[in-house]
Amino acid sequence: MGNVVRKTVLHAWHQAHGANMAVFASYDMPLWYPTGARGEHLAVLTRAGIFDTSHMAILTVRGKAARTLLQHCFSKDLDACGGPGRNPLAAGRCVYGVFLDGKGHVLDDAIVYQVTEDLYMVVVNAGMGAAVAAHLEINKQDADTIISDLTDRVGKMDIQGPASARILKKILRDPDEILPKMAYFSFRGWFGGPEAGPVLLLDGTSVMVSRTGYTGEFGFELYVDIARTASVWESVLAAGREFGLIPCGLAARDSLRAGAVLPLSHQDIGHWPFAHNPWLFALAWDETGTGFTKDFIGASALLQCKEQEYTLPFAGYDPRKINACEDSWVLDGSGVRIGSILTCTTDMAIGRVDGTIVSIATSEADGKTGDFNPKGLCCGFVKVNRPLAAGENIILTDGKRRITVEVREDIRPGRSARRAMSRML
Amino acid sequence: MKEIKELNLPEDLHYTKDHEWVRIKGDIAIVGISDYAQDQLGDIVYVEMPEVGDEFGQGEEFGTLESVKAVSEIYLPLAGEIVEVNEALADAPELVNKDPYENWIVRIRPSDLLELDALLTIDEYLDLLNG
Repeated sequence: MGNVVRKTVLHAWHQAHGANMAVFASYDMPLWYPTGARGEHLAVLTRAGIFDTSHMAILTVRGKAARTLLQHCFSKDLDACGGPGRNPLAAGRCVYGVFLDGKGHVLDDAIVYQVTEDLYMVVVNAGMGAAVAAHLEINKQDADTIISDLTDRVGKMDIQGPASARILKKILRDPDEILPKMAYFSFRGWFGGPEAGPVLLLDGTSVMVSRTGYTGEFGFELYVDIARTASVWESVLAAGREFGLIPCGLAARDSLRAGAVLPLSHQDIGHWPFAHNPWLFALAWDETGTGFTKDFIGASALLQCKEQEYTLPFAGYDPRKINACEDSWVLDGSGVRIGSILTCTTDMAIGRVDGTIVSIATSEADGKTGDFNPKGLCCGFVKVNRPLAAGENIILTDGKRRITVEVREDIRPGRSARRAMSRML
Repeated sequence: MKEIKELNLPEDLHYTKDHEWVRIKGDIAIVGISDYAQDQLGDIVYVEMPEVGDEFGQGEEFGTLESVKAVSEIYLPLAGEIVEVNEALADAPELVNKDPYENWIVRIRPSDLLELDALLTIDEYLDLLNG
């Protein structure tokens, strides 16, 4: 199976609409459509974009001990993960975290959804369904816990951007009941089967609507039965036309997520300890920030971790990049080699105004000039052998070209992912 | 992605296997990238240019094109001296995507026009693209 190139159910649509295709995680996926990656990236910040994400792997964990199994394997404490109040995960809520091995290395990152008291959905990366399912299977204590891989039975698409709620409102049967109360990292409905929830599209399709995404921008992920995927995709495109929604490919997805400081699994996190990186909020920290509220696989390794590698976000001063590969590396200000480049892409919606990073979504009150027309900034993540403070300059090089970039705490300002629903309808 | 038959490939140009083109105009050669190259690269966000007066050998790297996807080297089809760079690309690199022939990258004074023999004709270039 290793060399078989897989296709999502929307593959023929992508080809018929002029997508530039490439293989990603063994799936032949659209990189961009005729609009181009820059236009797609900007559409998600200003209007809306739709992404085919059916390549992602979807598992369910079912049974009375499902929560216990996830508590043992997943990095977040499902009994204390909801916001500042540390509320337990409840039906209709989801949470981001990682699955680690005993050494504290990342098997994959995931969003865990609580559907009912004894049914959880686990969304992991393309091609990772079997590995994560096997990991759960060998760690389960109760033979009645059922782990299923639904990847080939479920279609997934992400609607992202400020117009997303107004588009979704047009195709939901009862939008006023579903959308207004929908908090960030909550979801409604189910995509079929006996648990089919009360969320239906106008054409009667059961849908699971999740207020999540991988762009840093306001939006939703939709899960539907595989047989309904193409018709739902067309419905979203038709409903979104008046709002300027366009289909977007993996290139825009990558540049959007990098600017939003979100990791790509197996590139920015992977077979090294999950430590000293911008994503430690994915761990079950206790109130002291020095220990965990529960035990889980990899926890003790992380607490004893002596690793001296630091993963840091960076942004450049213009769009120039260095390809992240084995033949490129990172230098400190005095030219000493200190690490490697994990991700290097261009966030095409940002530029610098007097040194400060501004986005096309920034308001003029917050420093955007009237004629702001950004050329984009190179950005991504490096892994270096020492801690560096935000604001320090480092150099990326492939041995021939050198570009200076700044270590950052954050990259693209003014992101909309957490914006109140009342402002988006 | 354009089908090969959809590509705009002018017949009067010389091409390279790295997808540059060259047009001879008197004692000057104009250099750019082909429609195939711009389509494969996707949106070009930055063009790194040489300086006027720089000299390069045939096939030598003289600059880079940055697309959203990656950084790609561009190679000079003929040895020579850079006499002009297309300054418009500094502000609007996307012009290369819009029309890769109108929007050339550099003009050079070639040192040996016999080097043209090593470049590809339109038919040879099409054979290369058709694999």
